[in-house]
Amino acid sequence: MARVRFKPSKLTLFVSFLLTGLILLLIPQNVTSRLNFAFIDIFSFFLNIGSSAAYYQNPENNSPFSVSRHEYNRLWVTYSNLQAKVFEQKRQIDQLGRVRMTEPDPATGLVLANIVNRRKNEFIINRGSADNLKKGQYVLGDNAVIGCIEQVSADISSVKLITSSACKLHVKISAPDVNSYFNGTIQGDDKDGAKILNVPKKYKIKDGFYVYAAPKPGILQSPRIIGRISRCVVDETNPVLWDISVKPAYESDDIADVAVIVIKTEPD
Amino acid sequence: MRWWRFTFLIILVAVLQTSAAMNLLSLTDLRIKPDILLILLVYFAVYCDSYDAVIISFALGFAADITGAVMGPHFISYGIIGTAVAHIRKIILLKTTRQQALTIFITGILTEAVALVLAGLKAPGLAKTGVFEVVAVATYSAILWFLIKWLVGAAGKWLGVGVHRFGTRIDER
Repeated sequence: MARVRFKPSKLTLFVSFLLTGLILLLIPQNVTSRLNFAFIDIFSFFLNIGSSAAYYQNPENNSPFSVSRHEYNRLWVTYSNLQAKVFEQKRQIDQLGRVRMTEPDPATGLVLANIVNRRKNEFIINRGSADNLKKGQYVLGDNAVIGCIEQVSADISSVKLITSSACKLHVKISAPDVNSYFNGTIQGDDKDGAKILNVPKKYKIKDGFYVYAAPKPGILQSPRIIGRISRCVVDETNPVLWDISVKPAYESDDIADVAVIVIKTEPD
Repeated sequence: MRWWRFTFLIILVAVLQTSAAMNLLSLTDLRIKPDILLILLVYFAVYCDSYDAVIISFALGFAADITGAVMGPHFISYGIIGTAVAHIRKIILLKTTRQQALTIFITGILTEAVALVLAGLKAPGLAKTGVFEVVAVATYSAILWFLIKWLVGAAGKWLGVGVHRFGTRIDER
């Protein structure tokens, strides 16, 4: 007896696939994102082939009096962080002179992660909820804040970079002239920079001022460098505000691994 | 159509599309890259019979979703528009490379527009592609078609497609 081969009609096939697509669309994002992460997890070796190619192709300079651009950036970031730390400690010493301050236990943990895939304004890293990663945690690259955790699965996560418009962080703009900080909110421009929004023009802000991620309970305990102001002009649409552009401290192509700031909570 | 070979090809292209190696082809600080899955969508819609084109379109849409951030939008948009192209080519032959490049350009804009709307419904924070970027990717993919047509054609022949629909199909020889 001949076997009857099941072959649905073209219309049945089309409608079935369409319904499958609608089901996929209706399943919550935190469930379907596991598929995306699984794909990256399986093929992570192949996906990383060719990364940082431009950086590693740079010829090495043997002169003892000069360093590579990447090394310069790394040292500059370290210097900026130290400067912020010194400034913060000075302020604390001033306060300690008046009142005894009970400094909370830093208890800050860093979870190191490798970048398994690079997308536009986004990194996929090989750490997840199993390593206590949660949405919103800050991510460091070359010691600068480069973004925050967006989606988390058990062993893989996505990081929205500060150049992404989906990433909004509270920042402090250092003002060495008045020995103070101005507060603001940074948002990516979806290119290679970011903007600081709604800063009143009454604040004396100039090009070159450093921008730090503001401390946030449970997320970040001391300011961390994000970048520096590359352009500060009067906002064309609202002349009482500044239009501030920020150049991030990192070069995304140079970063091979990152560290996620995980504040450890004490067990009850 | 040799479906096992097609599965291998689609995985290969999905990995290539997502890999850092594609950054070598990226342009401007927006990192505009060609969409190889889009090129394949148009190629198979033009050269396969419409039944296979339906399956292939949805399969390529699934690959586009799994390499992106949201599951579903590309599955639907590639499926609908790929099927539509497969039917349109019954009226317009789309034989010349220029016509195919134009089809890639239009299909690229339509698929991304539909996918963006659907992605916005599911995960608004992840649907951030701008109009310029959509047009630029479609243009880049259409231009790239002139350069890689022979390669895609060779892959198509390996899969058992690529013979013009008025000619003899490979499995009928």
